[in-house]
Amino acid sequence: MLRYTFQRIVLALAIVFFAISALYTVMITLPGDPTTVLLGPRATAEIRADFRERMGLDNPIHVQIAHFWGRILSGDMGTDFNRNRPVADSVFSALPHTVALVFGAIFWSASLGILLGAFSADNRGSWLDRISGVLSVAFIAAPSFVVALYSLLVFSVWLRWFPTIGAGEPGDIMSRLYHLALPSFAIGLAWVGYVARIVRASMLEALGENYIRTARAFGLPRRTVIYNYALRVAILPAVQVLGVGIGGMLSSAVFAEIVFSRPGLGSLIYDSVSGRNYPVVMGAMLVAIGFFVTCALIADLINAALDPRHRSQR
Amino acid sequence: MTNDISKRLFPTTTRRQLLAGAAALGTASLFPVVAWADGGRLNVRAYLEPDDYDPLDASGFLEELLYGCIYRKLIQYVPGDQWDWQLDLAESIEQSSPTTIAFTLKPGQMWSDGFGEITAEDVKFSLERHMVDENNSRIRPDLGTFTHVEVTGTHSGIIHMERPFAPIWTIALPYLAGTIICKEAVEAAGGKITTAIPPAVCGPYRVVEHRLGERWVLERNPDFSGEPADFERVDLVVIVDESAAEIAKEAGDVDFTSIGPASVARLGDNPPDGSRLQVHPALFYHWVGLNVQNPKFADERVRMAIMHAIDVPSIVQAAFFDVAEPATGIIAPGLIGHRPETIIPPQADFARARALLDEAGIDRLEINIDVLNTVIHTTAAQVMQATMAQAGIDLSISVHESGSFWSLGVAADGERWQDLELTIKRFSMTPDPYYATAWFVTEQIGDWNWEQFSNEEFDRLHDEALSETDPAQRDEMYRRMQDLMEESGGYRFITHGVTANLFADSIVPATRPDGLPLVQFFRRA
Repeated sequence: MLRYTFQRIVLALAIVFFAISALYTVMITLPGDPTTVLLGPRATAEIRADFRERMGLDNPIHVQIAHFWGRILSGDMGTDFNRNRPVADSVFSALPHTVALVFGAIFWSASLGILLGAFSADNRGSWLDRISGVLSVAFIAAPSFVVALYSLLVFSVWLRWFPTIGAGEPGDIMSRLYHLALPSFAIGLAWVGYVARIVRASMLEALGENYIRTARAFGLPRRTVIYNYALRVAILPAVQVLGVGIGGMLSSAVFAEIVFSRPGLGSLIYDSVSGRNYPVVMGAMLVAIGFFVTCALIADLINAALDPRHRSQR
Repeated sequence: MTNDISKRLFPTTTRRQLLAGAAALGTASLFPVVAWADGGRLNVRAYLEPDDYDPLDASGFLEELLYGCIYRKLIQYVPGDQWDWQLDLAESIEQSSPTTIAFTLKPGQMWSDGFGEITAEDVKFSLERHMVDENNSRIRPDLGTFTHVEVTGTHSGIIHMERPFAPIWTIALPYLAGTIICKEAVEAAGGKITTAIPPAVCGPYRVVEHRLGERWVLERNPDFSGEPADFERVDLVVIVDESAAEIAKEAGDVDFTSIGPASVARLGDNPPDGSRLQVHPALFYHWVGLNVQNPKFADERVRMAIMHAIDVPSIVQAAFFDVAEPATGIIAPGLIGHRPETIIPPQADFARARALLDEAGIDRLEINIDVLNTVIHTTAAQVMQATMAQAGIDLSISVHESGSFWSLGVAADGERWQDLELTIKRFSMTPDPYYATAWFVTEQIGDWNWEQFSNEEFDRLHDEALSETDPAQRDEMYRRMQDLMEESGGYRFITHGVTANLFADSIVPATRPDGLPLVQFFRRA
């Protein structure tokens, strides 16, 4: 297990390194002069030249990438072009909002998806199962930004149950959760469908296993057999899917953060890409990719710990 | 016993209890609305986040939104329908000679946080720091020919210019560059404001907190020397998406937001309950630009054929939902230099366009237009594509995201600028015609003059109009300059658009004539 863990960590670091270096190259080669976009029309040629020099934009791409990694290894993410402050300030003030959003989405998708999947398996072949199937596919197909906009209309404008914007008052946990509910629901809804389908399939498989047949033969109540024995095994694939799905949720977070006007890595990256604010884009991407790779790594390690076949397959 | 426990855990519900419960739930669902409808708090939408507190780094109206609340100027714009200025820190101010402006400050105007009285030294420091090369002020051009401030007393001074500069009254003093900051506080901070909270303010509000990416939280400034602000707290809430902002207004989470033309057409005279809608003519200008230096358009008849084939009313109807008027130039109504009409009528004349192409020996003309990925500009391009085909012009559309689009015509960013054909652009504007024409002089080619329009008379007039203090003369000069632009075949003016504001009827907003908010003057209804 130790060797396997070491291999996965090395692989994770390599993924982060290559992903960020590739992104840096793509970002720099994108058409769009940051001095034009960032400084605005009234900046003189001298100001732009000075800005370009200060930010090292005159250097060749490989030198810029080397400088970037050099700074990262010394704990410096660079300076935010726009706000004249360390990139780390911008990124790490946004990160907790995105992490909360993603874990909120996991909460919604796991709780609703598992319930729906278990219910479907329990009522296999019935019209309720079919409705659940249609609902699951509909959830998967619905784009997050559409769900976000309709959630706003229904729950905020018509019913007035939830606020439309913001992340809540700092230091007030209830206010934070209150503001988190709707955006995390908008992201999590698509994953409700995935989780429900996976749980249903693996539960049907589990229900055919010998130990379930034995439990039934012993006369255990049907509900206990399904929800205490079969479901416990059936949710394992869903954990794996949600672990990998964090990448997708991070992408959806961009829309949710814009629609709900929440601070976060998604909206920070969106604004920074539009403004060609390279240091912030790269700093935020580094943290987002690091977060995603860490979650995937943890999911791998949990699976390997639970099922030794995972270790031997690799 | 078992029955007792079960009753305690699952008590029987009577119909009356059920109704009471439903009523309680209904009341609870209203709670957030009641909690937010606090009369002492004002939430104003900002479409992006202002950069910081230092005017050196300011680039546009977003900063002005914040600075207007926390800082003051010698003079400020008057809220209303007419462009005019009013005294702010200045007790008196006048043009004492073509190149000097004498001012006297109101005595007893105070900085916050114990930084004492506002003096002429603060004015000198605030204006002159923009002219220091090392400071890299982004708005230095707004100050034009300004050279220095001569302090003649604690409260008095003289603003000096190298030569007359008419826009000093319309752009420099009442806008970003005229913002007065505290010399003592800024020097103590190292010459630049980089702190999380500005060290000293003098406006009606002060900054309490900046929640990055979310909002600026301001509160009433207890040290403000003027009439106390009407709101205890003002939040400048960052909402990038216009639809989300409109929904937030409908839900009561913001009190004031701008909305797009589609919403204006939809809401019309019937805004949501508790809301009001005001539509103002904007200062921006949208236009179709044609690169006159592109060999494809070397023949003037081809350029003119394209101009005649663009049907402006159709574009305004489809892209602006008919809530805006066709433009007659780059200078909006109400400003010096506004033209009453264009040389080429806004309606397309396909027969004339076809005849011009025939004269030039062209059967089918294939051209490309580059547009920003906004709904307005892509719709405009699609309308052009559909209508220009009637004149035998095949238009292909290239859509770009903002970073890529805004470098298309920039020489420093590759060779693409030379091959540009048509573009649709929107430029922002300040209430002085100089700001509109500045981008189309010859030296702007390869920078912002994507049409690569070069005309000696235009350049000369632009230069002379800067120093012309007679409004009638200036008016004539700027009209002529727009005629020259149009005669080149490089410009088809679309519209200035509108600024539409949706706001709670519990507030009385104050806006400039172009609809941009002056939050410092907002009041409760």
